[in-house]
Amino acid sequence: MAAEGSGAPRNFATTRWSLILTSADLEGDDRKAQQALSELCRLYWRPIFSFVCRRGHSAEDAQDLTQDFFLMILEGNWLRHADPARGRFRSLLLKSLGNFLNDAAEKRHARKRGGDVQFVSWDEWMAEAPSRLTISARALDSWPAERLFDLRWAATVVEQALRRLREECESQGKLRAFEALSPCLGAEREDVSYPTLSQTLGVPEITVKRLVHRLRQRYRSLLRDEVAETVADPAEVDDEIRHLCGILAASAEAS
Amino acid sequence: MKNFSPGLSDSIASVIADPALCPHCDSSSHIAGGLCVGCLLQSGLAPDDECAAETLVSALAEITLPDKNWRLGNYEILEEIGRGGMGVIYRARQRHSRRIVALKRVLGYHADSRETLARFRREAQAAASLDHPNILPIYEVSESEDGLPFFSMKFAPGGSLQEVGPALKNDPRQCVALVAKVARAVQHAHAKGILHRDLKPGNILLDAHGEPLVSDFGLAKWLDTTSDLTRTLTIFGTPGYIAPEQASGPAAELKPAADVYSLGAILFDLLAGRPPFLGSHALSVIRQASETTAPKLRTLSKVADRDLETICSRCLEREPSARYRSAHDLAEDLERWLAGRPIIARRILPPVRIWRWAKRTPKLAGSVAACIALGIAAVLWQIESHSLSAAVREDQLTARSIAVLPFLDLDHGRADATFAVRIASSLQTNLSRLALTRIIPILQAGSSLAGTGSLQDIKEATRNSKVRAILTGTKRIVDGKLRLSIRLINAATGEVLLTQSLETNPGGASALEAERAVEQNVNSILNMSDWSALDPVTPDPGVKNLRAREFIVSGRELMLRQTVETFDKSIVCLERAIELEPLSALAHAYLATAACSRTYFISDERFLQRAELEAKEAVRLNPNLPDSHRALAGVAHRNGRFLEALEEQFRAVELAGPEERIAGFIGMTLDTLQKPERALGWYEMARHWETRPGTNDACIGKCWAKLGDDLQAEHAYRRAADLRPEISQGWVGLCHLRLLQGDLDAARALYQEHGPRFKGDNDAEQMAAQLAFFARSYHEAKRLYSELEKRDSRGGTSYDTEISYGSVLGRINQALGDSTDSRAMLEHSRSRELAALKTAPNSPAISYRLAAIHASLGDTDIAFQHLHSAVANGWIDYRTLRIDPRFDSIAGDFRFREIIAHLASKVAVLRRQTDQPTRMVFNGGNTSP
Repeated sequence: MAAEGSGAPRNFATTRWSLILTSADLEGDDRKAQQALSELCRLYWRPIFSFVCRRGHSAEDAQDLTQDFFLMILEGNWLRHADPARGRFRSLLLKSLGNFLNDAAEKRHARKRGGDVQFVSWDEWMAEAPSRLTISARALDSWPAERLFDLRWAATVVEQALRRLREECESQGKLRAFEALSPCLGAEREDVSYPTLSQTLGVPEITVKRLVHRLRQRYRSLLRDEVAETVADPAEVDDEIRHLCGILAASAEAS
Repeated sequence: MKNFSPGLSDSIASVIADPALCPHCDSSSHIAGGLCVGCLLQSGLAPDDECAAETLVSALAEITLPDKNWRLGNYEILEEIGRGGMGVIYRARQRHSRRIVALKRVLGYHADSRETLARFRREAQAAASLDHPNILPIYEVSESEDGLPFFSMKFAPGGSLQEVGPALKNDPRQCVALVAKVARAVQHAHAKGILHRDLKPGNILLDAHGEPLVSDFGLAKWLDTTSDLTRTLTIFGTPGYIAPEQASGPAAELKPAADVYSLGAILFDLLAGRPPFLGSHALSVIRQASETTAPKLRTLSKVADRDLETICSRCLEREPSARYRSAHDLAEDLERWLAGRPIIARRILPPVRIWRWAKRTPKLAGSVAACIALGIAAVLWQIESHSLSAAVREDQLTARSIAVLPFLDLDHGRADATFAVRIASSLQTNLSRLALTRIIPILQAGSSLAGTGSLQDIKEATRNSKVRAILTGTKRIVDGKLRLSIRLINAATGEVLLTQSLETNPGGASALEAERAVEQNVNSILNMSDWSALDPVTPDPGVKNLRAREFIVSGRELMLRQTVETFDKSIVCLERAIELEPLSALAHAYLATAACSRTYFISDERFLQRAELEAKEAVRLNPNLPDSHRALAGVAHRNGRFLEALEEQFRAVELAGPEERIAGFIGMTLDTLQKPERALGWYEMARHWETRPGTNDACIGKCWAKLGDDLQAEHAYRRAADLRPEISQGWVGLCHLRLLQGDLDAARALYQEHGPRFKGDNDAEQMAAQLAFFARSYHEAKRLYSELEKRDSRGGTSYDTEISYGSVLGRINQALGDSTDSRAMLEHSRSRELAALKTAPNSPAISYRLAAIHASLGDTDIAFQHLHSAVANGWIDYRTLRIDPRFDSIAGDFRFREIIAHLASKVAVLRRQTDQPTRMVFNGGNTSP
């Protein structure tokens, strides 16, 4: 899967996942890598939690298990024990999570409750990046945990990209522009009314169109940056996005 | 429709039964704003150019309207004040009424949910139908151009209980009174079939007077009011406050008892400083609420008594039917507690609990019943020892208890309760480290306008809170620095124990140091068991010497009679006092005031000079004596040095707090400085304290007239005329208003009606002369002004119009064809005004008078120079300028028209900024409704 066009994000060498992998290869005890891993976990905890819930654990157990899973990843030698073929952060995490839950089921009764070090500060994490995903009841009932994990992953990626875009606009004092224009990011929507937007923002229609175009471009860059953070090779960005898109399509829901 | 529990829905997803599939990507998953996740992902694949952050920034720069000029429907968005997953809250201004509102806009909706929007609309409209003084009114439910629904409601400037609550923790009466009001409001809504569903401190807003306003009735589920992300638990739909049945059961089956539970949780939080259940995450909080009994209030609150504990427990019963039957019953019980009567929720609850517990564990229940008899003895003993130590503690607390009153914001002439709350909480923290201390912030003492630290407020505060000392003060900005002056007052006697001023850069390191210094002083005073040994803050030798004191008291009394004769007698008395006690600043200050006041009745330069010397001597002798500064302020004002006058007046208020006379005086100075919009706040304050109703209304009318709000002006003048018929100012003001409105006939009719009763009254006669002059009836005007000038050759300054008799007579003679005499008179006036300008170079009034003289003399360019400098120094009274006959010669000049137009728009802006009839509101932070 070759990188398409100008798909490679800048500063790729320093993306979190590649940093983590490099560090593991060198068998170094790199605090930067540890930091990067912990940042990634902080961003992508919702897919993990959803997966655990979907596996039939109560919400409370799911929180405990997610907590333990993160501890295992961050404090243990997760990377060294993981498959050397490695690949993307998402798939590796999902694989490890499956194994972890299988192990956990055996050790379950032996687990100590309470007093554990809390790595996940649920309230803090939820507050930091609130999420508003709506999915169909059918998806929730019939999709396997892996697919739910990917769906949550996809939502996290786009929400994170949007959050960063919003912050960029806000820092310029142009939050209203973001709010007025962000509905246009979804697709070539027929219901986007340039005259209305022009009136709302007090600029000519032509400027609105230019702004929408720039906003889309910038969003695209941010989205690709987000994805790039979780893959080992720039060539994988497009592939990863395509994979996630495939997961979302409702026509595949029967699976 | 299937629902996860609130915590999970945030973590995984919300679920809807049959969402529409995206026509572009076939996905059914959406995020906030109805955006399709699939499309958002796919756009990452679109072949496109890279876009750096800078490119976006430069594109955004094309939008010239900054965020603050944003419009939504009929509203101008001023700023965002809160945000949640589904909604955003703005402070906004309604375009035509200029009313400031809070505006909530729903962001999160789904593309396929027309029906949802309709439901939102219906429920918002139902909530808008609630009309209760303690329910935040919803003004309008509407939809913006982009189809997103929003609604506007009252903007509550006092913040919410979430911010103010911590400061109320030690004042159970205030907590209970607040919750009782909230309960009444909730009952009102229940009676209309509307449940709140998300009562919590953040939803109880406070209006300008600290009155609670319940917001978001029935709308919580739409809004996901996560306006405050610092208190992260709120993002789940507020698990600390929702009833257990609310977390588990279907929303449709909720009963009023769920709101009763939340009310109890709020009261608990106010008194204990935390909600009944805490947990590291929402689910654990909800689980505790549904599985365990709420903790006893008194284990967490040091101030709550047993009855309050009982009331809270009753609200927090897990079983809805065991709670108060209604919010009404809860309100009644809280009011009973406030009135000191026995509450209804007696301690009948333990049997209920034991019964319920027995249902779950029947085997154990029998043996427990046997133990209960033994247990009672032990419990009684515990209660006794507990109350003993509580009594000791209470004594200790009372000795170190301070009520903090709102601080007076001198720049705006209004009370700042928020600031007092901040000081209170800082004092509470820092003084408690040294010893047990009780700090009670009082947002509102007594009546709705009080709270600015006047003696009345202090008495009021003491009556209710039983504290030993009162802390209050003032704040203002001086050269970019915050100048804070505090006063610590003996609550029993009203004596000032400590005054201290500090000037700091807000938030700077020196600010901290200064605060510590104040705290240390306050602390050492609190540690004294007997304050009677303390020296008065401002000892004056004139008061200690009995004979001198007698002269001072008589001098003051005579001075207050306000005639030339009594001023002269007063001056003699005060001179005797000074002979006896040359170092008495008080005697010097009073002497200055008497001499200065005399010149208002007969202009006499010698008395004015004497006043100046005496006032400066007073300040030199005792710069901490408020009277010294008041005297100097009076002299500066009389000499036209208004800025200096204002500074001295502020110093006096910083030292002694405000009262009617100084507030009125500051209003007058600001008014003369052409700042009617600021003067109003002070006049309103003076009006609030006035011993004789109607004293300040004419001045208020003058300010409104200057601001071009004739309705308000008319109202105030009429009030003055009705309440003080023996004083001319009310109807003279009305005459002046008619004059400004160009209705000379009406003005004259008013004068003919009232004038005869006021022969010899300065204001009335000046108005008669001015009416004739402005009507260009020069013969009559000449007669009237000549009479006035005979009485006071150097006099002038008619009602709100800068007129000196000399210059007016010069202009009249000119109009009557007596050119030589007129020129001499005008030139004489000019040289006098130029001399005056030297002592007060920035006086807009003097510049205006000079412009009038030069315009009469025909020196057009010089006239404009002075007029421009009057405008530059703040002159705004364009309505008088437009009709003043002295400017007839230049009225056709385009520069004149430009000045008029410029001032008219400036005044319009000022008027809009002053759109509240009563400006003395508590200056709350812009908090999120």
